[in-house]
Amino acid sequence: MSEDSHPADSPTPCQDIQGDGRWMSLHNRFVSDSKGKEPDVLFVGDSLVQLLHEFEVWRKLFSPLHALNFGVSGDATQHVLWRLINGELDYISPKVVVLWVGTNNHGHTPEQICGGIMAIINVIHQKLPHAHTLVLGLLPRGKNPNPLRERNASVNALVQAEVASLSHVSFLDVDPGFIHSDGSILHQDMKQPLSRKHAV
Amino acid sequence: MNPAAQPLPVQDVQGDARWISQHERFVQECKDAEPDVLFIGDSMVQLMQQHEVWRDLFSPLHALNFGLAGDTTCNVLWRIQNGELQNIQPKVVVLWVGTNNHQHTAEQVSGGVTAITQILISQLPRAKIIVLGLLPRGEHQNSLREKNAVVNELLRSSVPQLGPAQFLDVSAEFVQSDGSISKHDMFDFLHLTAAGYQTLSKPLHDLLLQTLEETSDSAPHTQSVSSQFDLL
Repeated sequence: MSEDSHPADSPTPCQDIQGDGRWMSLHNRFVSDSKGKEPDVLFVGDSLVQLLHEFEVWRKLFSPLHALNFGVSGDATQHVLWRLINGELDYISPKVVVLWVGTNNHGHTPEQICGGIMAIINVIHQKLPHAHTLVLGLLPRGKNPNPLRERNASVNALVQAEVASLSHVSFLDVDPGFIHSDGSILHQDMKQPLSRKHAV
Repeated sequence: MNPAAQPLPVQDVQGDARWISQHERFVQECKDAEPDVLFIGDSMVQLMQQHEVWRDLFSPLHALNFGLAGDTTCNVLWRIQNGELQNIQPKVVVLWVGTNNHQHTAEQVSGGVTAITQILISQLPRAKIIVLGLLPRGEHQNSLREKNAVVNELLRSSVPQLGPAQFLDVSAEFVQSDGSISKHDMFDFLHLTAAGYQTLSKPLHDLLLQTLEETSDSAPHTQSVSSQFDLL
């Protein structure tokens, strides 16, 4: 996803530049899927969430918890914010919302990305006052140390600090140690954010 | 000049150099591996390796996977001209690219795919090439489906003319009677689920086995032999 001029905390739908309307199809499907379902857990975010659904780990660990998956590849915070404001939370009352987003916010500062994540947390709390939100930390990325790793680490520190005082939110760092002592990430653990081995 | 046939690397706009890291890893793999089959293309190729179907059907054929999400024909062209074919002598190359060529017309995309095929044939004189047709995309009928279908029509006739190359199109398997694509086949109306890969892999695997068996014959291969296997 290229640099985005939209603010990280301003609800923004994805424009259909390619021509097959897939983003809106997915959003509409999530809204209609949520009618008549009673999930206890809702996963929402970007490709890391979306892809979780495609592998055994979903069937083994998360399906049994009655989980729904509203992940969309490429989404930044402003896109998730738009989706949650526009129907994806209107028909369900999950006990827990797992939120994992921010790595695609290209062009935004860590403070802006944190602001976007906090905006999402607030919308979840407004629409689902009884739900607990679990925010997952952004994973490191790139084979070697690079500015995006620093950015993601900063986002995590900021978010962790902001949610510390909120009883309805928790922060979870899901990085089991992907970075090796020489600073590199192995391709066996991460091919690229779109196709990451779900070793967490 | 066909813009879809110009070799171009992907620029690192995001800042973590992942594209070039993966290309370098593929070049490195060429130094040690002795694949009988090489898969090259975009995310449709790359993601295949994450599913059981790869382990069950393609790994046993000694296959390497050089798929890179987001790649256009230009990017694949650049990669094969910058080291990803060095030191390897696969018997078959499976090429699957073109759905990301958003800046190009169907004719240009088709030209890009045939340009890659021609280079593969010239760099790997003992290899046979299998070109996979572009799958439909989007939940309902849309302009990209039409474009991909035109690309496929063009490739259907041009690929067999190139020599040891065949075209395999399994598009029809993915469009339901009401014209929609199911999330059970494509979780985002573009990328295949595990089940979607199973559907694709059956005819692909059959064709691969046939082609590999053919390459193990010592008899010279004629045009008419390869055209027998031009599955539609």
